[in-house]
Amino acid sequence: MVDAARHPNVEIRAYTEVERVEGFVGNFKVQLREKAKYVLADRCNGCGECAKACPIEVPNYFEMDLAPRKAAYVPMSQAVPLIYNIDMDACIHCYKCVDACGKLEAIDFAMEDKLVWEDVGAIILATGYSHFDPSLIPEYGYGRFPNVITAMEMERLNNSAGPTAGNLVRPGDNTNPKRMAFINCVGSRDKRFYPWCSNFCCMYSIKNAVLLKQMYPDSDITIYYMDIRTPSKGYEEFYDRAREMGVHFIQGRPSLITEDEATGNLFVHSEDVSLGKVIEHEYDMVMLNQAAIPQLDQNIMSQLTNASQSPGGWFMEYHPKLRPMDSPTDGVFLAGACQGPKDIPNSVAQGSAAAARAGRILHSDRWDIEPIVAHVWEDRCVSADGKKCGICAQACPYGSIIYEQGKAAEVVTAKCHGCGGCVAECPHNAITQLHYTDAQLLAQIHALLADKPEEKIVAFRCHWCSYGGADLAGTSHFEYTANERGLRVMCSARMDPDFIYEAFKLGAGGVLYSGCHPQDCHYITGQIVGATRADRLKRAFDKMEMTEGRFRIEWISAAEGDKYARVLNEMQDVLDNMPKEELMAEIEKLRPTMDKRSRRLREVPGVEAAYQFSEKMGKIIVKEIIV
Amino acid sequence: MSNHANTPETFADKVRSIPGGEHLEMCYACGTCVSKCMIQQKVEQEYNPRRLIRMVMMGMEEEAYENPTTWLCSACDLCYPACPQQIHISGVIGAVKDLAVEKGYTSPLETVSVNETLCSGCGICVMVCPYEAPHLIEKVVNGVNDRFSEVDINKCMGCGICVASCPTGAIARDGVSNPDIMKQIPRSVTKTDAPSMMVFICDWCLRADDDLAILESYPENIKTIHIPCSGRIDPQLALLSLRSGISGVLVCGCQPGECHYQRGTDVADCKMSILDRMFGQMDLADGRVRFVQIGTQDRGRIRKEIDQMLEHLTSLQEVC
Repeated sequence: MVDAARHPNVEIRAYTEVERVEGFVGNFKVQLREKAKYVLADRCNGCGECAKACPIEVPNYFEMDLAPRKAAYVPMSQAVPLIYNIDMDACIHCYKCVDACGKLEAIDFAMEDKLVWEDVGAIILATGYSHFDPSLIPEYGYGRFPNVITAMEMERLNNSAGPTAGNLVRPGDNTNPKRMAFINCVGSRDKRFYPWCSNFCCMYSIKNAVLLKQMYPDSDITIYYMDIRTPSKGYEEFYDRAREMGVHFIQGRPSLITEDEATGNLFVHSEDVSLGKVIEHEYDMVMLNQAAIPQLDQNIMSQLTNASQSPGGWFMEYHPKLRPMDSPTDGVFLAGACQGPKDIPNSVAQGSAAAARAGRILHSDRWDIEPIVAHVWEDRCVSADGKKCGICAQACPYGSIIYEQGKAAEVVTAKCHGCGGCVAECPHNAITQLHYTDAQLLAQIHALLADKPEEKIVAFRCHWCSYGGADLAGTSHFEYTANERGLRVMCSARMDPDFIYEAFKLGAGGVLYSGCHPQDCHYITGQIVGATRADRLKRAFDKMEMTEGRFRIEWISAAEGDKYARVLNEMQDVLDNMPKEELMAEIEKLRPTMDKRSRRLREVPGVEAAYQFSEKMGKIIVKEIIV
Repeated sequence: MSNHANTPETFADKVRSIPGGEHLEMCYACGTCVSKCMIQQKVEQEYNPRRLIRMVMMGMEEEAYENPTTWLCSACDLCYPACPQQIHISGVIGAVKDLAVEKGYTSPLETVSVNETLCSGCGICVMVCPYEAPHLIEKVVNGVNDRFSEVDINKCMGCGICVASCPTGAIARDGVSNPDIMKQIPRSVTKTDAPSMMVFICDWCLRADDDLAILESYPENIKTIHIPCSGRIDPQLALLSLRSGISGVLVCGCQPGECHYQRGTDVADCKMSILDRMFGQMDLADGRVRFVQIGTQDRGRIRKEIDQMLEHLTSLQEVC
């Protein structure tokens, strides 16, 4: 931290919050609230005279409320920058600190919060994690029994700079505990609270056990665990060392802790799974290893930076294996436990990786993005005529469409990832996606159904999942119908209803509408846009009395090659079980309706013109990116 | 769950198909249910829900049916809220029990039986039973069509709530019938300076061994009678104790929600509060009869309750 503060290219803004983030990769504008510290940073030398003079004491958050701090304080003694701060909620305005500060005149009670704008090229989110509150598990008695403590409290009690100067005492009666139990997985791996494994707690409790065993060799330490997970280099050896030192490990999740009121000792009730017997042991102190949980205000940061969250609330990475330090928004990177529970080596590795990724942006004069971006045909956008619409902006998972009534919608090209959701959603066909234009896709559909269309099954596959599923079905040699005709788009969100109408108009036997599972979507919420539309289509086809199974919606991941093959074979069965005349009659019956519904496509000033337009637009977009 | 329709149905599939038996594959054997439950500590060493779930998963059908876990679980659901995987364990055990009964196994528990000469067919036992074990049947006896209560022995857990509620004393089981308990109440107690006290204690509300030791540490004048559930307490037993000259009666049950027989403690609460109200109407409510509900975490509370009661009784004696 001190190194960072001394570095000429690093500026630390302590006690500052992000209020707004605007712009896009390479050109972010960030509004910061520099909170009033009531101490002038350029004058304070960190001598601490103000804290000595201050008569007010409040619980010290950094010491887990085990010690007091003054209203004039630094959060911890190693704080960087070492500038004191006055807690206005606690301050009684006695001004003793002003007198103590004397000639330095560093204290300014008239200070106010300042809002400043900064231009930045990239953003790294390293907001960390929070802790589960174990008092939510009443059977462990945290909060009621003074000698049940959390791992963080243990950390302070055991720290030579902590409130007890490293002398481990139990909070109940300030005596030195001899028998201690550590309980793992408190709130984690628990469907009632947080289902995930918190990753580092096993090592953390073993570390504490080894540390305490070294300091107090006569202490008796038991770790209650469900599974000990030591999956990194050297970790298993450390686990062995703890066993050799005489730390007891009991497999079994305690179900209850009771207290002997007279002595304050605790009884841990659990099953010893290895023995299959219920056991009850007495301890002087019990430490709970709480779950790591996302910061409680993580969603605020998520909204500010458009860095989406995974189902548990952690920041979501662009790709779990290939791009674990990138957020789905270009130019926003993730480091450390804000992306998921992580120990120190992993956090450092991710932080360095994120810094390198951000450095790439800062060192580039130009930034390449995929050329498959969306573009608005301004003359067709009804918003330009003053009508209310904004459907495209709602469909965009990246907030890259600026919608303002009276003006044509505008795509911020640098933010667009090319899912095509807006293109398919636009009711006026006013948006196109380069390289996936309506004209191109229609031409493909026409080509696929050129010959004996009633025998064909057109499969719309999303690039990231169901296309991979189809690929896997092929490479794994799963047999499926030869009548399948695949058509790739980037996301199920791009699958325009018009294409499906067009396919049925041309006489397709079946249409498969496939994409990722909702939680796997490459474009955050693209699948949801596609799924909503698909359900609507399904209802429309049901109303038209189309045979069940000719139009099918399936979410197939890249690992589900067998599912892809099975679904297509089932669709083929539907066609096989239908007499040909009946199928032809149904196709003919529905053709006029389909024709009517897909006619809108041709209202676009000539599909032919679209070909030329996309060529022309391609050049314009490239110019924009260079800017 | 198998994706292939043609694989034979496993034991686990059978259990899963019964409502309550779902999610058993989620068990990761943490042992919370085993230590939350008091049956292994108090009744049967072999009792272990975690192992039963394992048996189901491994297809050990016969062993599961014969395992005491299948029959001893009283569905108190103390374990369900504590299970980190949210498996409804008593539901799984219930499903195994249903399958076992289907296969012809019967409960090895000691269950209540109905004395038909005394039964009036009033149906109170049907109402109070937490397990729907008794039901009314119509039968022709001596040419007269009459209603009787009949007990499904595979459902009865032997809590004795019905025994306490039967107005004619027709339903009973060995050890907890009215005469069996009355035998333990002395006929008459000679009055001494120290107050005498009767403690009716439910078999399940004291978890720790040292709590049980507390009960035995008291002198002769404090007598303890163990009942299977506080729901077994009949207010008449309390009155009988007072009549024999005992100064006070303390009834201990589990905390609501922790009752081993689901609602026995609520039934007891109801009965004891009615008794209290009656005493109030007769101007006798001086705290001689008290009902306390002790939770699983209230270690050492029993000593406090008895001492407090003794103190109260001593002060009453001084007034006299």
